[in-house]
Amino acid sequence: MEESKEQILIKRLHLKEETAWKELFEAYSGNLTYVCSRYIIGQDDVHDVLQNSFIKMFRSIDSFEYRGSGSLRAWITRIVVTESLKYLKQNSDFKIVDDEFEIPDLPEEEPDIQEISQTTIMKMIRTLPDGYRTVFNLFVFEEKSHKEIAGILGIAENSSASQFHRAKAMLGHKIKEYKMSKTAQYE
Amino acid sequence: MSNQWLNEMRRKMEDHTDDVPEGLWDNIKDDLFSEDDNDKITALPIIGNDLKAKDKNTSKFTSKKLVYRISAVAAVIAMFFIGGKIFDFYNSEEENSPKIASSKKGEPAAHSSENKNLPKRTNDLIDNDLFKENSTSNNITSNKISTKNSFNEILNNHNEILKNGINHSVNQNQNTTTDLINHNNQIAQQENVIVDNNQSINDIKDPISQEEKDFKDKFESIQKQKIAKKQSKKPWMLSLLTGNTSGSSSEQFPGYATISGSPMNVGDMFYASDDGDPFVQVVLANQNKEVEARIRHKVPVTLGVSMYYSLGKKWGIGTGINYTKLSSELRSGSDANLIKSDQSVHYIGVPVQVNYNVIKKGAFTGYVTAGTIVEKAVAGGVTTKYIVNNEVKEEKKEGLEAKPVQFSVNSGVGLQLKIVNKIGIYAEPGIGYHFKDDSSLNTIYKEKPLNFNVKFGIRLLLD
Repeated sequence: MEESKEQILIKRLHLKEETAWKELFEAYSGNLTYVCSRYIIGQDDVHDVLQNSFIKMFRSIDSFEYRGSGSLRAWITRIVVTESLKYLKQNSDFKIVDDEFEIPDLPEEEPDIQEISQTTIMKMIRTLPDGYRTVFNLFVFEEKSHKEIAGILGIAENSSASQFHRAKAMLGHKIKEYKMSKTAQYE
Repeated sequence: MSNQWLNEMRRKMEDHTDDVPEGLWDNIKDDLFSEDDNDKITALPIIGNDLKAKDKNTSKFTSKKLVYRISAVAAVIAMFFIGGKIFDFYNSEEENSPKIASSKKGEPAAHSSENKNLPKRTNDLIDNDLFKENSTSNNITSNKISTKNSFNEILNNHNEILKNGINHSVNQNQNTTTDLINHNNQIAQQENVIVDNNQSINDIKDPISQEEKDFKDKFESIQKQKIAKKQSKKPWMLSLLTGNTSGSSSEQFPGYATISGSPMNVGDMFYASDDGDPFVQVVLANQNKEVEARIRHKVPVTLGVSMYYSLGKKWGIGTGINYTKLSSELRSGSDANLIKSDQSVHYIGVPVQVNYNVIKKGAFTGYVTAGTIVEKAVAGGVTTKYIVNNEVKEEKKEGLEAKPVQFSVNSGVGLQLKIVNKIGIYAEPGIGYHFKDDSSLNTIYKEKPLNFNVKFGIRLLLD
């Protein structure tokens, strides 16, 4: 069986070739920056977390096992998420906010995000409070269950669920506001 | 509201990319692939080589990081030691040589920092040592050849063995990497050998045939010692001490003087006092002798607690509280009959400084700094001893009259080690210029407005 490009790159990464690591960086750093920016707001902090993440990848590449196409990306993304969470915990004003925000119940209708750009969605996510955002990211993008999130963040499971619901409501609200301002512009 | 739109969001965002932070790859590259950078390794010879030997099997990367960590720790610790030694050195001026001898041992931290901070001086030292070595052996030869012909043979033998020894060790050095420290140590030991041999040569007087045996024995035992004493730190401490003496300042003038530098009027003293006056006793004892007054100011050492507020990655501003102790010593009179005053002034100061971080590796940050300090003398005093015939006749203590405020501008390089999350310790050698205050207080600030200083402290990092 012929090796895929990904597998060849992985082999070279194992050999700790500088060019291979540069390639990895070129290929994935944009996406990883996005992943990291979901969690971390400060620009310098994103820089630091990504730097640490790459160092960690470099150190632990030996423990990485190829499990089919896309597994490299999944692995490096996981490292960035772990490092981001670590950073949030260490430098913390990181706290789980409870009951600080009164979120009005949203109508049953689903927010339509099709016409909203990625950048705008990203901006909205980044305006969520740290605690909300972290839980939201883990649940939506990392597809963790509330039980898993509770374990990762060291909080109660129902706390994770309530954080998530608040985050979701807040985001839905933001989307609605955004749409209204958009339509208002055109009228 | 279901979670359907969130799944949609995930799919939508999957391929999203953001602008990669500037310079990220360069930093990563520096961290991961800079082992090839030989310059850095030679800048840290001992540690670099030691660790390399130990960690050959582990990844190069970790050893590199360790090198920085360890050298940072060592350097900061060393700075503290240097500070301590300055005091020790001055406090025991009379018994210099034994003190130096004892402080030469067991000073590993100073060892490595010296090595790192003063590679140039190291080379000088080596040169000096080589030079000394030559001259000592020349002395030995010239002195002894004239008196005892038969002794020549022994000497030649000795020199040959010695040469072999040197060649041997030099070869070893070439085989290993350019290990500056080892080299230096070995040369130092060669020097010891010569000095020791010199002693033993002095011991040897008449029965030569017997001496030859003794000599060989002695040489052999020294060589054994040499191997055992590979870790001797002699040359390093020596350079530290000489390095710091130059930082202090001394004034010298004939006659008697007070610590403020003004000459004493002997005539007035005679009238004002009765026979029991210790100053008169000193003066009387020194009749027909040349007297001189010497004021010696010690290098100021500053301890501080500071807060640091970072403005971006490279720049930051800091403030805090500093404590500085200035000590000065006055000796007025002759060796046996003198007036000895020790003045110490304690300053509390508030610095404002701007830092630029030059290098950041792990917990260690190297930076350059510039700023101003406003200092106020808060306490101080002068202890005056009148010594006649090596006997303390009277001791007086006076408090500080004026408590001046002192302005200065400073610049320096610093080394900081982050110990825990927001707290780091630092050592900061630098130079400062002190503006004149109006008081009569005579300190090193006045004597030498532009001076060398070392600051140590704890820094709280704010973001």
